[in-house]
Amino acid sequence: MSELEFASPVTVDPLAAPGGALTLADAGATTKVLVRAGSETAAATRLSVPFGQSREFDDRTLVCGTRPDEWTLYAAPGVAPEVIKSIPEQGFVTVIDITHGRAMIRISGPCSTLALAKVCNIDFADDMVPDGAVFSAAVAGVSCDLVRNDQAEGRSYLLTCERSFGRYLFVALADAGTEFGLNPPEGWTLH
Amino acid sequence: MTSHYRLPEREGEIIDRSARLDFTWNGRNYSGFSGDTIASALAASGVEVFSRGMKYHRRRGILSADHWDPNLIVQVGDEPNVRAGHRRLVAGMHVSAQNVWPSLRFDLGSLNQIVGRFLSAGFYYKTFMRPQFLWPLYQKVLSRFAPGGRIHWDTSSHGLYDKRYAHPDVLVAGGGPAGMAAALGAADAGATVMLVEHEHQLGGHLLWGRDGERTRAAELGASVRSHPSIETLVNSTVTGRYDHNWISVLDRSHPVAPERLIRARVGSLVVAPGLLERPYVFAGNDLPGVMLSGAVRRLINLWAVKPGQRAVVLSANSQGDEALDDLRDAGVEIVAALDARIGETIVAAQGRRRVRKVTLGDGRTVSADLVVVATGWTAPTSLLNMAGDRPVYDPVAARYFPVSLPSEVLATGGIVGDGGTEELVAHGTSTGLLAANRALRLRHARRSALTRTHSPDRPAPDEMPDNRSPLPRVPHPECYRSTTHGMVDLSEDVSSKDLIQAAGEGFDSIELMKRYTTVTMGSAQGKLETVNAAAILAESNGVPLADIGTTVWRPPFSPVTLGALAGRIHEPIRRSALQDWHEAHGASPLLAGVWVRPDHYGDAQSEAENVRSNAGLIDVTPLGKLDLRGPDVPKLLELVYVNRWQKLEIGRVRYGAMVAEDGVVSDDGVTGRLGSDHWLMTTTSSGAGAIWEILEDWLQTAHPEWDVHVTPVTGGLTSINVAGPKSRTLLERVVTGVDLSPEAFPYFNVRQGTVATVENCIIWRIGFTGELSYELHVPSGFALHVWETLLEVGADLGVAPFGVEAQRILRLEKGHYIVGQDTDGLTKAPSAGLGGLVKLDKPDTLGLPELRAAYDRDDLPVLVGLQPVDGSIVPAEACQIVAEDSNEILGRITSSRMSPTLGRSVCLGQVHPGLATPGTVVTVLLVDGTRIPVTVMEHHAHVDPEGARQRV
Repeated sequence: MSELEFASPVTVDPLAAPGGALTLADAGATTKVLVRAGSETAAATRLSVPFGQSREFDDRTLVCGTRPDEWTLYAAPGVAPEVIKSIPEQGFVTVIDITHGRAMIRISGPCSTLALAKVCNIDFADDMVPDGAVFSAAVAGVSCDLVRNDQAEGRSYLLTCERSFGRYLFVALADAGTEFGLNPPEGWTLH
Repeated sequence: MTSHYRLPEREGEIIDRSARLDFTWNGRNYSGFSGDTIASALAASGVEVFSRGMKYHRRRGILSADHWDPNLIVQVGDEPNVRAGHRRLVAGMHVSAQNVWPSLRFDLGSLNQIVGRFLSAGFYYKTFMRPQFLWPLYQKVLSRFAPGGRIHWDTSSHGLYDKRYAHPDVLVAGGGPAGMAAALGAADAGATVMLVEHEHQLGGHLLWGRDGERTRAAELGASVRSHPSIETLVNSTVTGRYDHNWISVLDRSHPVAPERLIRARVGSLVVAPGLLERPYVFAGNDLPGVMLSGAVRRLINLWAVKPGQRAVVLSANSQGDEALDDLRDAGVEIVAALDARIGETIVAAQGRRRVRKVTLGDGRTVSADLVVVATGWTAPTSLLNMAGDRPVYDPVAARYFPVSLPSEVLATGGIVGDGGTEELVAHGTSTGLLAANRALRLRHARRSALTRTHSPDRPAPDEMPDNRSPLPRVPHPECYRSTTHGMVDLSEDVSSKDLIQAAGEGFDSIELMKRYTTVTMGSAQGKLETVNAAAILAESNGVPLADIGTTVWRPPFSPVTLGALAGRIHEPIRRSALQDWHEAHGASPLLAGVWVRPDHYGDAQSEAENVRSNAGLIDVTPLGKLDLRGPDVPKLLELVYVNRWQKLEIGRVRYGAMVAEDGVVSDDGVTGRLGSDHWLMTTTSSGAGAIWEILEDWLQTAHPEWDVHVTPVTGGLTSINVAGPKSRTLLERVVTGVDLSPEAFPYFNVRQGTVATVENCIIWRIGFTGELSYELHVPSGFALHVWETLLEVGADLGVAPFGVEAQRILRLEKGHYIVGQDTDGLTKAPSAGLGGLVKLDKPDTLGLPELRAAYDRDDLPVLVGLQPVDGSIVPAEACQIVAEDSNEILGRITSSRMSPTLGRSVCLGQVHPGLATPGTVVTVLLVDGTRIPVTVMEHHAHVDPEGARQRV
């Protein structure tokens, strides 16, 4: 099975505005593991990241406190078994590989906040959504989990949603980004 | 056409004389300059008449020369109702008058003036209410007289509109001196600010003021624009204030779209719209050449347009006095300068195309082509009304003032008092500081409450007391109506006579009068006429104006186009991992709820036949799928399903149906036990979200002690139904790790294994088509590989894809009902044919009391299989089943198709219990009115009722 290529719902190359003001890229192959565990479990102790925040662990896994007693772990593509194995099983703990069940899109650049503000009613100001913040919101009408995950190049957000909405979400974000220079290919426009 | 009325270059003018713009007006060529409005360019070219009144079609010229001018509503290209007093001139514009026929100059509608005395208030109500049967005819005729321009459906050149959200700490509505100062005050205090100005430039009334005022406006404007914390929007309007400071802003200045609706959640709203000048009511006050003082000041000082040659000026305030100076400066001869503060007035204006003579209060009649009135102000308190305020009239200042505002809404500038520029700036600054303080305290509280933010490193700002020095109220004479009657509402052609007549007929409250006469209901929406209407009502009722009150101003503050409200439409669409393949192979798309699905690949009947004879594949990914984990899952299933689950063994699946608290069937599906504490539940496609919510609701509110985790996995598992007599043969070629023999993997069982080298696939043996059938749930990232492999290795078996339509045919042949199609919002379990599935002796189940009651009844409809006697007729779904000799409704067809297997039509239907006996012939009323006999069948299933085909 390892020879098979993971097929993401987003099948276009990354979009970039001239000058790097905004980029939009598929990150669907990212390993995504959902952990639900009560606060008294070893899994909760290991993950420890509070609800609403995220932290990158030493193994480069990004651990996000997505809901109370719930974490979503993002890691390099194809490492779901290892990530799952790293979660202690003691107590009532559910660990599910949701890599195939969630689309993931990364939107980056100085104009990313402005683009998101066209489709999402969240105050993206730095003090309200600092780097590392984790929250849920409707983006272009789709229920999403968002992480502010700044990169070396600057401001960046990861958006995940139910896989079947992935293509639509990418199209909606690309449409929002046209104001800032994105030029989505034919078939990937909203109107 | 050359410009006869353009003045020599002036200090402060906003036109660029080096940029000439050509356009047409009613088909003739004109030119103006960049910076001109449509109206100023036409006025500079000597145009005097811009429109006709709505009812009497009297000629109309410039009144206020701004957005609110009711006489300057024109058609521009394919865009109707453009406000020529506000819209900037663009080269190539085709501008025309609207609501005139055949032309503005010779308008047949003006014949209404002859019968004008019959068109008074309530004319339509009184005239067209009898005879009632003629109303449709009246409606048709009257609609032809409705004002407004022409919409060109096919040639809209507007493109897409746009929307965005914003979260400024402080939003300032109004970019005059007080508004700009408020923005600067708030921004300097650390707040983020959005400053919204209705006009095209910041500055407010200072723009057409004296040298010092213009300089001050420029200084403030420069400070605002250079402040990093202020976002400035000009040519934009705050159109509404809603609960919790949810503010709508119409942005007309952004290149991305002609109009963009901004939805802003703001900490503090500062309302600083300034004041609007109100007209004066006297005979002939709607003639071209009668203007407000602000209009002549703007025409002269902003666009260098001479508004007339010989003027009568009636002034009650300093603006009128300054207009007098401007007129003299522009070379206009002042025929009479009347001071309303000492009781001087105008009685009447006369003329045909334009004012020619003016009768003054002292009895003199003078020759003039321009009447300028400066008789008072209307405070545009709309946004304050929307925040709950009910402004009160002050007879000393002769205008309304706000009374009580919520803490998150503040007002500054002319709306709260008078004063010179520096007084307004000082009040604006202190208002901005106060607004920032309140907004930043709110922001601090929000930051402290949110888990995603870092705790604020500073305490919340101390609460700032409101110790602003109030602006003074300068005494102003109450000038509303002269000794004659004239127009009050120039948008709707409502005169003071109409209002007094209405009051006499008993419509003597302002709200009743408004609805009876339509005063304030036109394009100006009360901005110019509300106070005059109230004053005339007060006069008629013999009470002080303060006792009359005002109509309530509601959103929007100014009209919003439907395009702006629509914006970019976000309607999420769900696609399975195979949808691209379906489209590439000719599938006809079907929008089922939010899912796009393959309806068929060309011929649904053939697809169904192939399933019966070979094997077919259908993408059933939209099937709702919930991963259930934990030792208490059986308890949850027992609670939500009508049947039993405690003893379901690992490796088995079971059909389950759900009812709501009222016993009505709400959902159904198959659930399989994958492990000791691991289950996979399926739901209807449309019910997936709702069922997840129901499960979480019960778990979180009623049984938090149960150890159950529910995870939706609908999109993560692509579901492929492999159906047909050759389906086992097909799967044996690609499945490893699972014994597919009927003995090892019988009907209604589930296994986990590898399909086409893809691990962790779930395979359950169930059927919806009535054939030997397997449902594969595969990780979506590899679904396309599995699908293509199945087609490839099954080519010699005749394996082909089939769509939703073929599936519907097959399931109907088999008699499987669909929740929501063969049931409705009243269908209880007995009516859905659930029969013995429902276990009424369970200790508890959602809706159990209603289920018990339902099973005690014998009058509920029954779901039955039906076959038309004439098998070539397919009754449309939802056709009524009626009594043989009347139209008494006894049931309905819920599903119907032509069966390729039987070569005849087959149906399911809900019938009265008295008709449910097999062999009964019922009557179906077709859409075209014909009645056909239909036979009630013994089974729901029309094909293989014994189930032999699916149990092999």
